[in-house]
Amino acid sequence: MNPIERVLKTMEGKPVDRVPTFCAMVEDRTFNEVLGKPLISQEKLMRNPLARFILDRWGRKLPKLVFQGEVNRALEKRIRAQVELGFDSVWAILEGSFIVIDSKTMVRFTGSIFNLQPDGYGNMTYMYRGPAFKSRDDFESWPYWPDTDEVAHSAYKFFKKIVSKYGHRTCLFGQASAYGIHESLLWAVGFEKMPIWIRREKDLVKRFIDINEELCFKTNMALLDAGVPVIIQTDDFAFKSGPLMNPKLIDELFGPSYRRIIKAVHDRGAKYVLHSCGDNTLLIDMFISWGVDGLHAYETTSNADIFKEKKLHGDKVTIIGGVGVDYLLTDRSKDEEVVDMVKKLIRELGPDGRFIISPVHSLSSIPAHKLRVMVDAAHKYGSYPISIS
Amino acid sequence: MKESILAVRNAIDTLDLDGIGTIVNQCLKEGLSPEEIIREGISKGLNIVGRKFEEGEYFLADLIMAGEVVREAMPILKEKMNPGDAKSKGKVILATVQGDIHEIGKNIVGMILSANGFEVIDLGVDVPAEKIMDTAKTTGARLIGLSALLTTMVTSIRDVVETSRRAGMRDQVKIVIGGACTTETLCREMGADAYGETAIDALRIFNDYRATA
Repeated sequence: MNPIERVLKTMEGKPVDRVPTFCAMVEDRTFNEVLGKPLISQEKLMRNPLARFILDRWGRKLPKLVFQGEVNRALEKRIRAQVELGFDSVWAILEGSFIVIDSKTMVRFTGSIFNLQPDGYGNMTYMYRGPAFKSRDDFESWPYWPDTDEVAHSAYKFFKKIVSKYGHRTCLFGQASAYGIHESLLWAVGFEKMPIWIRREKDLVKRFIDINEELCFKTNMALLDAGVPVIIQTDDFAFKSGPLMNPKLIDELFGPSYRRIIKAVHDRGAKYVLHSCGDNTLLIDMFISWGVDGLHAYETTSNADIFKEKKLHGDKVTIIGGVGVDYLLTDRSKDEEVVDMVKKLIRELGPDGRFIISPVHSLSSIPAHKLRVMVDAAHKYGSYPISIS
Repeated sequence: MKESILAVRNAIDTLDLDGIGTIVNQCLKEGLSPEEIIREGISKGLNIVGRKFEEGEYFLADLIMAGEVVREAMPILKEKMNPGDAKSKGKVILATVQGDIHEIGKNIVGMILSANGFEVIDLGVDVPAEKIMDTAKTTGARLIGLSALLTTMVTSIRDVVETSRRAGMRDQVKIVIGGACTTETLCREMGADAYGETAIDALRIFNDYRATA
């Protein structure tokens, strides 16, 4: 059975030869360990006064000319590294939503500000700094709203290439420049102010949701046109102790968009996976009612219980995840501990299918070696029928 | 209990952001003192919201909204208060540890503590241990809340604990941790005093420390 068949049949609840594996993306440290380090590290490059001067002076004008090409090359490396690590399915992401402002700042075109900073391993990464919209005026005068057709077109071109290179070796879970509608709103106005915006700025919130729905819809369709078999969408709906908002309100605000998008994905014969951080226990039924085929939504540092979830919803949705990135997939753990967890997950979640073993998240601290240990153990112990004592 | 005080409680409980101003003004018009409105209306309303949050009826966004409702009421009340009437429950330093810039959780804790009468000194994000202890020294704050989301930055919690020890202040301060990557175990491992999973836990912990101080 090839990886694509293994993953898609699992998501349809059909028998497969073994528990499939999914890689929740890899960051620069990990792909450098797999593919080899660059001659000059990104951090070193960014420390160069000339590079900083150029970014500070012309940062805003450079992205389309210089950065997007570089970014696309790095993103392709991420995909290649995941494939070379031997995963059955990989998170293939195109990131075209950032605009560099200066050597320390980037903005996402849907209204959020990020720090550009070292990741502690010689590479550069980004971290959320805060909202761009503090008032109606900020929203109305935002200069970076995306041309959704253009974004979708870039997504198509990028993924056409990715599918031709890797689409026969792995099941691609694709996402392109569009982040979750809920989390994009959260980033754009700031979580502390989001409830107020929802209460007092209903028209703007509606417009924001419409823009992001269109962005997700068009990019998803572009990915499907390029041959991607599974759409994956990040949208963090929960904190470690539960949903950020009342599930009913989440459904009212975001449910119609997700239902429309997922229906269109299904109409084109593809699958839809939702990634959400935190403890989503109270939201799972709602996600299933939206039509998701798989959920990568069981963060190990939250109160979510993946074992209980398999019993409750394992017949309706494919459970993806299980391997923690807070300890197991770090330099601090022992290989045996990773193997033991893989065995436990396969033993308890593997029977009856609809389970894909995977890291619960990506993180710059994940060593490639630990991912290899995880994949090897999944291959060794994951064959059906499961027989781990 | 006067109807209007119950209306304040109810406005906070039902997260009535648009109605709270009128209700508080009505209370003042009826001759209720700002202190009584805060004690019997606002504080008790917040208790109801906290209980509903713990029982799963309210969510994080509702806690924030309750804080906003209080924020809407406080300027009206403060205007009518005599200087020195408002008694603070004490000073709490809040900071996201060095190396981490996530602040949503910290800000929510700050909002809940402020709404409950604590004086919050928010040092922001990526805060070095030395700055936290310097602030404790200069302001006299003895309660410290540390937030961390990134697993890779948890050792910054230990830095704060060690810095307080080196400064000879370890017995004088209480260090409480919270955030996505923190746990009870981590709290012990890092030598902190308490771990709060939610903003309401944090409020309870700081209230307890204040009571035993």
